[in-house]
Amino acid sequence: MSVSAPTRASKQSDAALATPYLALAPRRPFPYEYAVLAVILVAGAALPFVLPAAEMAIAVRVLVFALMGIGWNIMSGFGGMFSFGHAAYFGIGAYTAGFMLVEFGVSPWIGLVVGMIVAVIAAVGISYLAFRYKLEGAYYAMSTFAFAEMLRLFVSGNDALHRTVGFTVPVLPESSFGMFQFDAGSPLYFWIGLIMVGIALLTSIVFLRSRTGRFTLAARDNEMAASALGINVLRYKLTAVALSAAITASAGVLYLQFYMFIDPDLAFGAHVSNNAIITTVVGGAGTIWGPLVGAIIMAPLSDVVASFLRNPPEQLSFLAGHGGLDLLLYAVILIAFVILLPKGIYGTIWNRVKKK
Amino acid sequence: MSASTESTPGVTVDQVTIGSLHPESGASAADGQQMDRGAQYAVDAINDAGGIKSLGGAKLVLSSADTQGKPEIGQSEATRLIQEGAVALIGTYQSATSANVAAVAERSKVPFVMDVSSLDEILDQGYSYSFRLQPNATLMGTQGAEALVAMGEAAEEPVEQVAFLYEQGNFGTATLKSFQAAAEDAGVVVDPIISYDPASVSDMTTQVQQVAASGADVLAVAGYYRDSLLVSQAVDTIKPDLSAVFGVANGAFDQPQFVTDAPNAGENYFDANYHWDVTNDAAVELAEKYEAEFGEPIRTSAVLSYDAVMVIAEALEDSGTIDTTDLRDAISKSSYESLVVNNGPVKFDKDGENTNASIVVMQVQDGAIKQVYPADRAESDYVYPAPVN
Amino acid sequence: MTTNTPLRAEPEAPPVARRRIRLSREMTKTLVVTVVILVIVTVAAGIISGSTTVLTQAIVTGVLTGGIYSLIAMGLTLIYGVLHIINFANGAMVALSLYITYEVVSIFGVHPYLALVVTIPVMMGLGALVQAFLLNPVMRAPIHTQLLITIGLALAIENLLLLVFGPNPLSVQLPGNAGVPILGATVELSRIYAFAGSLVLVAALWLLLKRTSIGTAIRAVAANPEGARLVGINIKGIYILTFAIGAAAAGAAGTLIAPFSTIQPTAGAIFNLTAFVVVVLGGMGNVPGALVGGLVVGLTEQLGALIFPGQSPLLAVFVVFLIVLFVKPKGVFGRAS
Repeated sequence: MSVSAPTRASKQSDAALATPYLALAPRRPFPYEYAVLAVILVAGAALPFVLPAAEMAIAVRVLVFALMGIGWNIMSGFGGMFSFGHAAYFGIGAYTAGFMLVEFGVSPWIGLVVGMIVAVIAAVGISYLAFRYKLEGAYYAMSTFAFAEMLRLFVSGNDALHRTVGFTVPVLPESSFGMFQFDAGSPLYFWIGLIMVGIALLTSIVFLRSRTGRFTLAARDNEMAASALGINVLRYKLTAVALSAAITASAGVLYLQFYMFIDPDLAFGAHVSNNAIITTVVGGAGTIWGPLVGAIIMAPLSDVVASFLRNPPEQLSFLAGHGGLDLLLYAVILIAFVILLPKGIYGTIWNRVKKK
Repeated sequence: MSASTESTPGVTVDQVTIGSLHPESGASAADGQQMDRGAQYAVDAINDAGGIKSLGGAKLVLSSADTQGKPEIGQSEATRLIQEGAVALIGTYQSATSANVAAVAERSKVPFVMDVSSLDEILDQGYSYSFRLQPNATLMGTQGAEALVAMGEAAEEPVEQVAFLYEQGNFGTATLKSFQAAAEDAGVVVDPIISYDPASVSDMTTQVQQVAASGADVLAVAGYYRDSLLVSQAVDTIKPDLSAVFGVANGAFDQPQFVTDAPNAGENYFDANYHWDVTNDAAVELAEKYEAEFGEPIRTSAVLSYDAVMVIAEALEDSGTIDTTDLRDAISKSSYESLVVNNGPVKFDKDGENTNASIVVMQVQDGAIKQVYPADRAESDYVYPAPVN
Repeated sequence: MTTNTPLRAEPEAPPVARRRIRLSREMTKTLVVTVVILVIVTVAAGIISGSTTVLTQAIVTGVLTGGIYSLIAMGLTLIYGVLHIINFANGAMVALSLYITYEVVSIFGVHPYLALVVTIPVMMGLGALVQAFLLNPVMRAPIHTQLLITIGLALAIENLLLLVFGPNPLSVQLPGNAGVPILGATVELSRIYAFAGSLVLVAALWLLLKRTSIGTAIRAVAANPEGARLVGINIKGIYILTFAIGAAAAGAAGTLIAPFSTIQPTAGAIFNLTAFVVVVLGGMGNVPGALVGGLVVGLTEQLGALIFPGQSPLLAVFVVFLIVLFVKPKGVFGRAS
């Protein structure tokens, strides 16, 4: 009777082999996930009182990465549709809000909603076309990559969108919640970002545990069998894509308001897409907490390595002061993570727990 | 002067920290690393001369951060440096990063002296805590056009038509606009106007062929190193009939490396760009010291970083305070004799632009880069017409 | 049994012959469409630019740069075709080869192309090591795992080059480089050589894949890994060999483009984007297709710059890319087995 029967049988597909068997999880509600979420939010809320102010900037970066990762995970982890161009939705969010703010003085909160809507329309549009033309796997991934690049090039050449100059958020004389701008170093940026991450995680949990989510997982693991069972695969795939785009767009708006500046490369560049993937895969793709774990580790990593190299311990002092070394170490650490823990950090833990 | 400097006479502190934000890794690492070293030279020079006397001989400390060429890293590093006690910041070479740091500086009320960042818009935001030393893109375009026209007239071969080849980003576009306006004011036709994508271009022969077909007598190029080198290769291949190739704020034509990399050792190529002043003894001394220590010629960006630290040091000396708002006020009243070619000492206008910033025209002559115009900064006469085929 | 009607209504023609005819019709259709589009675009570019010399230059340059793009993409498509890995480190490997070429020329003072003697084996060895230790362990993982490893590798190589060689740009000169007139346009000799190099590389790879037993083994693994394993082929060994060959191709590309490239740690990144487009256009895994894909990209870039001044020609390239992806995802000429 269960939808998961075909997935248990279809162990051949790589996706089934590699995912942390969430598809096989029974459909009990898992209320403890809501409890974990609550704990994370409460613990996170206390962070600004504990961390020194300089680290708070990195903490906000963690939140931006987490949002991008959670967004990517819904579509590519749960949905199995690997996206290599998630910068497209990040950038749409940032640019929509930026354009409305700078040109028309519209509040970034409205910009956030509009940005999410535009991103959803774009995502569903391009994915519908892709599925219609039967693009899958690497070809689908390449199409998402091309879409992000095209947006970058288009925006770079468009006068109304300020070409390569981008948008600068005007500095207000005073903090304003309505305009999403606070004093530099204000904990409100972090708290608002934390709430956004909380909502995104909640969406992940509800999605995964819902019928939509289960059908999406089924479609990921064996599309033919799922549609043979009468599941409207296209509808569920597009739902996952829409949620994914909306969450990622919100990351773009948070970025814009915190860093006060956006340009085509920061919005749509390949490194943005890569960060979404790195964050999730290192944490554990296809799990709920994986993207958050990945963000906590990867977002500060280049800073940690850089400050280590600034003041290395005695024995390693020859390492200091060489351009490129910190990124080299970051790259090596990344490769090691991926090889040693292909299911991601949280994914590996979850897998061990499930096996018991 | 603000009231606080009179009520708190020069405090005595052990050291004063200046934050230095440059791309020490990534695509612009060549300049970034040099700039940090240039800044350190200035710090050392001040300390060797006894530190900041009005602060009781306080020593300057340079706190360096690698922006990696990324604005968000630049921003978090700027925040960190300020938290760790920097009273002023210098940097950053990349306009997007500078825009971010300028916002941080404004909100933290810490002065930020930009050594290199050409994007005009940074100082259009009404920031009062940011200052820029280098001439911005608009100024370079205007002065470049004026210099070219003047040079042509003095050589009795007035320039009639300039073809303009530029990179599609902010810097190229802003340079083009002001160059075109100034050139057309002087009765010079600017046509064809051709842009390219500096990140992806791999061959410039089509663009140069367009220039050749147009009958223009001068080719102006506003680009970065790699793409401008491609232009020189294409010019050497196609050999258009030009009186000169004239760089405007060009990232290649005034670089010693260009002489090594370009066909014909880049002979006769002009560049109207900001550059350290070879007729200034202090600048020459700095350049020689750098080359002796690091085995490579100093870049102007590094000299600008040196100047940036000096401007801050002078302001510290004048104000005798480490209060960042008072320091900002002192900087805004600067009058510093720069080591970079200029029209006078550094003087900031209400937006923070250096009103005396200027370009100098250089030409590659016998494998060396020479300052050739204006006459009072020239080390040798310029050759015009200067055919490159 | 006799009452069973066969699934096909009419008697069978030999299946191979029928398939060949169908392919040929489809290929002709594709060719015709491509040629028509090309002619329209060329005429448009000619009209907008207003000069036949410029147009000829654009076409000749487009063909040459196209050949260079396909040279760089050759290893990428081979690796994808057999291993189904998108090697994001392809550009970085080209950059590494640029530096090796520079070092060989400055230490031994030889003609730049002689550096092939060094770059090909060195890059082959590097490729073998990468596959053996970094990628073979994760071949069954989803594609994002392998992708992240190659992304990490690209970052590592780029920063290693920065660390060792510093950030300043370097160059290598080709003795006897000159402008060569072709049909009214002029091109650099070094680029003609690079174009010729891409033809040689295609021929070499084609010969390897079609005429040697190793090549057959590689093709078998590409077509059906499980089946290949069953007939006793050492899959992991073939993977290592293929990646090594792909890396060697990148190595050869680096040496051939050195005389007209700026040698910087980030030099490879410029070619990554176009290489992906070339690979998809030509058919992922299709080595001769990469040549065609390169030509399409090169011509689109040059003609696109004439037709849409003020926009990055890459935009036109990506539009073409998306159109081909949707219309003919297997590439203009489909997969080669």
